[in-house]
Amino acid sequence: MGLAFKIETPAATRDAEVVTYRDALLQTMRGALNDDPNAILLGQGVDDHKGIFGSTIGLADAFGKDRVMDTPLAEEGLTGIAVGAALNGLYPIQTHIRADFALLAMNQIVNLAAKYRYMFGGRFEVPMMIRMIVGRSWGQGAQHSQSLQSLFAHVPGLVVIMPSTAESILSSYPWLIRHHRGPVLCLEHRLLYDIGFRVDASPGAERTPAVGSRKLRAGKDVTVVATSIMVLEALRAADHLAELGAADVELIDLHCVSHPDTDLILDSVARTGRLLVADTSWQAFGVAAEMCRIVCERDPGLLKAPVKTLGMAPAPCPTAKSLEDLYYPNLRRLTDDILRLAKGRDDHGVPLPDDASATDVYKRFKGPF
Amino acid sequence: MTHDDIDLDTQLLYETLRIRLVELRIIQLYPSDKIQSPVHLSIGQEAVAAGACAALLPEDLVFGSYRSHAFYLAKGGDLRQMMAELYGKATGCCGGKAGSMHLAAPDVGFMGSSAIVASTIPHAVGAALAAKRRGLQQIVVAVFGDGATEEGVYHESLNFAALHQLPVLFLCENNGFAVHSRISARQSYDLLEHADSYGIPTRLCAKGNDPRAVYDTVAAAAERVRVERRPTVVVVDTYRQMEHVGIGEDHHVGYRSPSEAEPWRRTDPLVNESALVARFTPQILREIDDAVAFAEQSPWPGADALLADVA
Repeated sequence: MGLAFKIETPAATRDAEVVTYRDALLQTMRGALNDDPNAILLGQGVDDHKGIFGSTIGLADAFGKDRVMDTPLAEEGLTGIAVGAALNGLYPIQTHIRADFALLAMNQIVNLAAKYRYMFGGRFEVPMMIRMIVGRSWGQGAQHSQSLQSLFAHVPGLVVIMPSTAESILSSYPWLIRHHRGPVLCLEHRLLYDIGFRVDASPGAERTPAVGSRKLRAGKDVTVVATSIMVLEALRAADHLAELGAADVELIDLHCVSHPDTDLILDSVARTGRLLVADTSWQAFGVAAEMCRIVCERDPGLLKAPVKTLGMAPAPCPTAKSLEDLYYPNLRRLTDDILRLAKGRDDHGVPLPDDASATDVYKRFKGPF
Repeated sequence: MTHDDIDLDTQLLYETLRIRLVELRIIQLYPSDKIQSPVHLSIGQEAVAAGACAALLPEDLVFGSYRSHAFYLAKGGDLRQMMAELYGKATGCCGGKAGSMHLAAPDVGFMGSSAIVASTIPHAVGAALAAKRRGLQQIVVAVFGDGATEEGVYHESLNFAALHQLPVLFLCENNGFAVHSRISARQSYDLLEHADSYGIPTRLCAKGNDPRAVYDTVAAAAERVRVERRPTVVVVDTYRQMEHVGIGEDHHVGYRSPSEAEPWRRTDPLVNESALVARFTPQILREIDDAVAFAEQSPWPGADALLADVA
């Protein structure tokens, strides 16, 4: 079942069971098809034996290949087809096996889907979802590893989410599919698919907040705002520091990159005075930069120390494991940065966790995937 | 516009004339700078929209391009709201956020128009997929120019529509130019042979300034799409009399000659049917006067509209 991260949300306190990220996605896709006869899944391989890493497996048998449609290799065309289908009463869910392929559909995403409602004065709605998977490890390289949330979140009209846990999938996907009448882009992390999470399995479990950022851990020394798999890395760092009594971390899972909960972030920074942003992408012009904008525009005086940010090295992703391990921020660096921020000096003297790469911790497979 | 008391040919001529007169008024108004929107005029191509839309049913959907004044009007879009939209007024068909290039009238099945060439073609395919899934009898029309067929998404759209046998009518207005570039400088393929290679039936109308000829071609194609629930490609040869964008003529700037416009002008029914034109012009001008007055008197969109309907 893999690692079982205990996520401290109100919903996870009773009747907890372990659900993998993959099973949360599968459950959500099945629920969407069950709830709405006009919901369809579109994507290369959605109906095959691998089923988008298991997140659509069996659904073609259950709902038919006219609703769980394998598609030609035509990313722009298929996103345009999804837009047109949404304009005429369907709820399309399109999948990209890697986020990098969504770049082929940027015209439809940015010029059309994001603008259809506004550009026509509210005459149209384009309710649809585009799921894309961020790759990492085992030589994914420059074109199978990009984490493109800031490109999408930059454009008004798009809702961009990055689920970090099974709970965040179960609480946001069904709500967005049912209630949001515009395009939703989901960036899912490949390394999380195999990870199990404690979630509330009780009937009628309340899953709130549905979409916004969530505070996963309260603390008084440092505010860490993280996305996707960096949320789990930050939890590991926070647990390590708590065990040593070295620093008390407040952790915010940004979750909805396009619509961050600025009050939650600012309230936290106002109390801790220290901010670290850990993102899955490059720092420049991205989530890290945006968090700095949010704080500095409101009141840079909230900060007792300069902000620290972690992200990928400013280069395309290399394939050699030795380089890949340098390319991505690791637990040791994250923990060290938190301590430097909390203690106000570099020679804090606190023992750091070993620097086993995140891949070694999270990866549950061998070979190409 | 339909008139029960006049025959189809006359109705078609009326609609063709109406579109022409609206665009001539836009040309008149343009120097006043009251229309601050790039206009791509359909003068010379009006009969394509008039003939094609008359061959459709009210529930059929049409997706257009940036050159869509004619299709907006022919599908039944409100003239007052169009003029107000060109003026950027709150009463426009899209509240003043669309301008000339993004006209829409979903209440009559005109589903929007885009300034990015070919980008609404897959929307028509997707809408047809929805019609199939929902058991609707409507057909969906993608309107585009010859230049759009060079975009990859056109090929992706033909493939998907043919693969899934979707009720789409791909309607190509072939005016022979992409901005100032001739089709011979741009295309290695023949439009009809190319569509045929996807197993899609095709029809050609070579008389694109004759609304009845367009009507006959599109009506036959639409009937087939409606009954057989599979796509068809219709190519209508036509001629853009004005420059690509703007209100000027450009037969003297070097990329085309006045002589090639001549055969189209000689056969222009709006020139040859002078009695009908004279008969209908006054009432159409009154309608246009009313629409312009409506646009002039309408309020600008306010600050409350700026961030409305973003997401």
